[in-house]
Amino acid sequence: MNSTKKILLVDDNQLFLKILSRAFIKAGFECLNAESGIEALDVLKSATPDAILSDYDMPGMNGIEFRQQLLADELLKDIPFIFLTNISDNKIMVEGFNMQAVDYIIKDTPVHVIISKLNNLLLTVQNQLEISKHELKKAAEALNVKSIPNTIPHINGFEVDFWHRPYQDIPGGDFIDFIKVNERYSFIVLGDIMGKKWMAWFFTFSFLSYIRAAVRFGILNKEYSVSGILQKVNEVICLDDILKDILSSLSLLMIDNETQQISYAGAGDLPLLHYSAKTGELTQVNSDGLLLGLFADGRYTETNITLAKNDQLFIFTDGMIDFMINGGKKSDYGHFAAELKALLNKSNSFKQLKENLFEPATAMQVDDCSIISIYKD
Amino acid sequence: MIDVDVSEANLDNSAAFKSEVVALLDKHRKTVIIDLGKIEYIDSSFLGALVAVLKHALAAKLDIKLINLKKDVYDLLLLIRLDRVFKIYNSYNEAI
Repeated sequence: MNSTKKILLVDDNQLFLKILSRAFIKAGFECLNAESGIEALDVLKSATPDAILSDYDMPGMNGIEFRQQLLADELLKDIPFIFLTNISDNKIMVEGFNMQAVDYIIKDTPVHVIISKLNNLLLTVQNQLEISKHELKKAAEALNVKSIPNTIPHINGFEVDFWHRPYQDIPGGDFIDFIKVNERYSFIVLGDIMGKKWMAWFFTFSFLSYIRAAVRFGILNKEYSVSGILQKVNEVICLDDILKDILSSLSLLMIDNETQQISYAGAGDLPLLHYSAKTGELTQVNSDGLLLGLFADGRYTETNITLAKNDQLFIFTDGMIDFMINGGKKSDYGHFAAELKALLNKSNSFKQLKENLFEPATAMQVDDCSIISIYKD
Repeated sequence: MIDVDVSEANLDNSAAFKSEVVALLDKHRKTVIIDLGKIEYIDSSFLGALVAVLKHALAAKLDIKLINLKKDVYDLLLLIRLDRVFKIYNSYNEAI
């Protein structure tokens, strides 16, 4: 998690800017420079630094005015901010602190001391972030709010298993649920809320609540249509004031253990993969539906899937097909399918898949990863 | 027309992208053409921004068109059926 820290330096004195940025770069920071508050605001449109060091006394927009602009912007107000100044006037210092400047550094300070102060600041920010995350995790555990199940479900005639790894081990937007509505019907839910880390995680509970309600109400009304359930979920999400601006993919499967049939409807999800034990082939199972929250009419359709003995069905989120290559990120569904097929032709043990395919890929992970496997006994 | 000048379209630049396109749409340009030719990879944040600008355009009865998508990016949009929602063209000339 120790990526290069980015610093924005704002000072009208070109020479000072050069000296300071050179020292910061040497110390391992990435440095963005701006010679005025206006230039700095422009830089901030396309880059988000980890901290801003700004001169106090500048022509045009001075440091205070620049700080005011930042405080007025939702995205910029929380970036740690330090004033650099030649003046050691107490009154001005107080004004600076009132603007939530984290610190005030006199320019005469040796450059290496400036860098030390900044390192300490960033470390404190990082620690506070870790503490907050820890508190959130504890709160979630205490409330028993989970977006990933603890155990695998038991469905007659099938073996269901799953693997999940959140991005950078922070709970994120992927959610999984197994809903056994009665002796005959069980539902499998796999969703992926767009966005990363805590932002996405907060919404998983709302989405899961609507989905669970739609599934249970559907069954209570004797409606056994997965596409119908998806349509209802989509409609309420498009009406929900908060969720209507959040997009999510969803794979919804209903297993009827009397007929041993699986019916599937997808919303903006990746096609499923059906492995035939007899032929050794891996086929895509497509669906028509659009992402939840996109349009009120999601055009959901459903497909019936029959698994022959020893066949396997895979449902997964896009983290499984994304990876790092040559310093850049790529999405490749076909590549993932080919690797999966190669392993399945050797063994269909989910444990083997975990060890040989899913876990090794974690190092190159760029998103939450989730995969569910349904194996026909 | 907007030239998206990044090879990795993700959380950092999706907000900037969204505000730029929305600004153009608010100026009532009938059609905004977005060139994604430099993008090798898009993440869910950027997809979210793309969808948000589409919704904004539709609400204002304006049009957005995507051009020069790289194969991997196009394939992803195809897999999740976003090709049925966005107007996608191979080049600027095809789009106008």
